[in-house]
Amino acid sequence: MKIRRLLLLASVVGVCLLLLTLQTRGRATEAADVVSVLVTPVQRALAALHRGVSGAWATVASWRSVRAENARLREENRRLKLEALVVREAIEENSRLRRLLDLRARLPIETLPGEVIAREWGGWVRSLTVNRGQADDVRRLTAVIAPEGLVGRVVDVRPWASVVQVLTDPASSVGAHAVRTRTPGVVEGDPRATLRFKFMARDGAGLQVGDLIVTSGLGGVFPRGIPIGRVQAIEDRGAALFHYAILTPAVDPGRLYEVLLVTGDPTRDLTAYFATRG
Amino acid sequence: MRALLALTVFGGGVAHATLAPAIRIGEVAPDIPLVLVTLLALRRGPDVGCLAGFVAGLLQDAAGGGLLGVQAMTKAVAGFLLGLAADQLNPRQPLVQVPALVILSLAEGLGRYALLALFHYPAPFADLMVYVVVPQALYNGFLGAALVLMLAWAESQRRRPA
Repeated sequence: MKIRRLLLLASVVGVCLLLLTLQTRGRATEAADVVSVLVTPVQRALAALHRGVSGAWATVASWRSVRAENARLREENRRLKLEALVVREAIEENSRLRRLLDLRARLPIETLPGEVIAREWGGWVRSLTVNRGQADDVRRLTAVIAPEGLVGRVVDVRPWASVVQVLTDPASSVGAHAVRTRTPGVVEGDPRATLRFKFMARDGAGLQVGDLIVTSGLGGVFPRGIPIGRVQAIEDRGAALFHYAILTPAVDPGRLYEVLLVTGDPTRDLTAYFATRG
Repeated sequence: MRALLALTVFGGGVAHATLAPAIRIGEVAPDIPLVLVTLLALRRGPDVGCLAGFVAGLLQDAAGGGLLGVQAMTKAVAGFLLGLAADQLNPRQPLVQVPALVILSLAEGLGRYALLALFHYPAPFADLMVYVVVPQALYNGFLGAALVLMLAWAESQRRRPA
């Protein structure tokens, strides 16, 4: 019995080590594809269910607060107010989609809209799964954006879905610069889900709270000029060569439902197409 | 029963990718599959704990876009060891299940960090412990306690004569 158990453990550990070894040699996409073929349809269904339940809950919660404020008119207006809430939700969704489509139409670069169907928020990995994959000709390292700015990059492409590493993932780093001072640096995610702008002390003398940080376009993955976040605080590290600024992200990936995947030429400069003032 | 086990593990993996972000407190989300693996290992022993951990971890690896095999290995080993320890404990006691869940979450976090460190995972150890592993372990304990209470209630309903 003990030997059987140990054999089971050894087999499982062996399979894991084999998978890890294959991946370090870049040959495990087939295995990931097989798993994702099983997972993606269920993720889509559960995402739709989750959205329906949260929508219904939000409607009920709003209805309760309105009832407290308008007790006298409650009975007369209940049906109308519920209808208004439903309409408001639809308007909100419309506005979100319109902003996305506006951005898509405005950008001089080819993009593909995608819907967020799952999120990984454990802290070790922060990622979104979108419903666009190999079938839509999505490639690895495709930049992902929202009307407010940069979301992240595609790190894994499955047959019908892609996994997007968001900027706040601890392993994420993006070349960036400050719009006002042109201070160059690197934006990194960290386990606290914040963004840090790492810059050389001598370059960042004039950096101030509120400065906008955008992608630098170096490296050829992200187009230049996409907003990443605004400086919230600057860490004074004395005589250290590198200083850090804590950023407020331009995009809250936890509240994203739709995104654009940049499938066109990533070397274009998009500074003029995003709001970089104010 | 096997179908139910498979459904529990698979459902837990998918729920983690879709529901866990919705019930996060601040930036801390529970590790739902680990909670299920712990409860399964305590109730059904090391074999089930190991296999459930392997499948649940593999699903999480696949859904999260990380290295395939990291969580599969840490959760399988965690499920196996906890299943073995269950022989020495009284696994039906909530006072065993909830602390076991917190300790296992911490141990799984340390194991995962050690494994990821071999692949040059960039996050600093202290930050990861303070902001991810410890809060998540406490949240897992809280969620596990709720599940244990629900299971106890369900079992008491089942035993009640019709």
